[in-house]
Amino acid sequence: MSAPEHTLHITPTGTPRATILFVPPLFDEANRTRRTLVLAMRALGADGFATLLPDLPGQNESLVPLEQADLANWQSALADAAATINGPLIIASLRGGALIDHHAKAAAWWRLAPVSGAALLRTLMRARVAADREAGLTSSLDSLQAESATALLILAGNLLSPAMMGQLGSAEVEPVAPLRTVTLGSGADAIAGTPLWLRAEPGEDSTMAAAIAADIAAWSTTCGIS
Amino acid sequence: MTEPDTVDATLRALLADVLGLGEDRAAALTDDSGLFGALPEFDSMAVATVLTEMEDRLGILIDDDEIDGEIFESYGNLLAFSLRKVTD
Repeated sequence: MSAPEHTLHITPTGTPRATILFVPPLFDEANRTRRTLVLAMRALGADGFATLLPDLPGQNESLVPLEQADLANWQSALADAAATINGPLIIASLRGGALIDHHAKAAAWWRLAPVSGAALLRTLMRARVAADREAGLTSSLDSLQAESATALLILAGNLLSPAMMGQLGSAEVEPVAPLRTVTLGSGADAIAGTPLWLRAEPGEDSTMAAAIAADIAAWSTTCGIS
Repeated sequence: MTEPDTVDATLRALLADVLGLGEDRAAALTDDSGLFGALPEFDSMAVATVLTEMEDRLGILIDDDEIDGEIFESYGNLLAFSLRKVTD
């Protein structure tokens, strides 16, 4: 799209065992989880992994206006970021990040609490309906959906294009292999923690960060990467 | 399908997750506890998140026209709405 986006890198001392490319959750969920994600990156760094967390165009520190972004260019931005990495690469995606991680080439994928685009879009539209109601305006999911076909729409502070709205509404997680998907909770395919991405105010969970790092490191070993 | 006690517990856990209440504050909610307008964390984004999570965790579908301001006035109202939805 334009200049390369800001990417947070954490590098271990010595040659990395492998590189983990983190794909953040989308929109506000990225802010709510960033602190915990970075704690997980630090833990992986201490364990010998290189990690990076790129900004998606239109998100975080990006200079690209969000209304110019859509899922397709987020997918290619991640594919480009992945292509610059030497050595074995694991892609680790959270929530809506799992909707855009499949165009990149990697040795393995890891996904935490993936969510459909439709569920994310529904929440964003409902926030707008609730805010409108407070302001004495009447809107509905249907009226917003209809409006979004031809016009830019502001949902929960995000200016979204018709392309973004359309792609988000139908986006599902795509198959990749080898893939490990974990949820929050207990059991073999879960890690203990709090769904910080739902939280009205940003929080942090250092125990969950350590669990994320340990699970990714174990998955890397399982895949024969390191 | 879902028992009333389960709905109550699910709703308290959900509010704890979304509003960051912690287990103690979530357990202390009574029917009269105010939500929207009473808890500073309960803004329009939180309302939206609660609705989507209710659908997900209670296995229900919520239409726009079922939602009015009253549902979020108190914990009792939200619980009554949820119980009505799961028995529909």
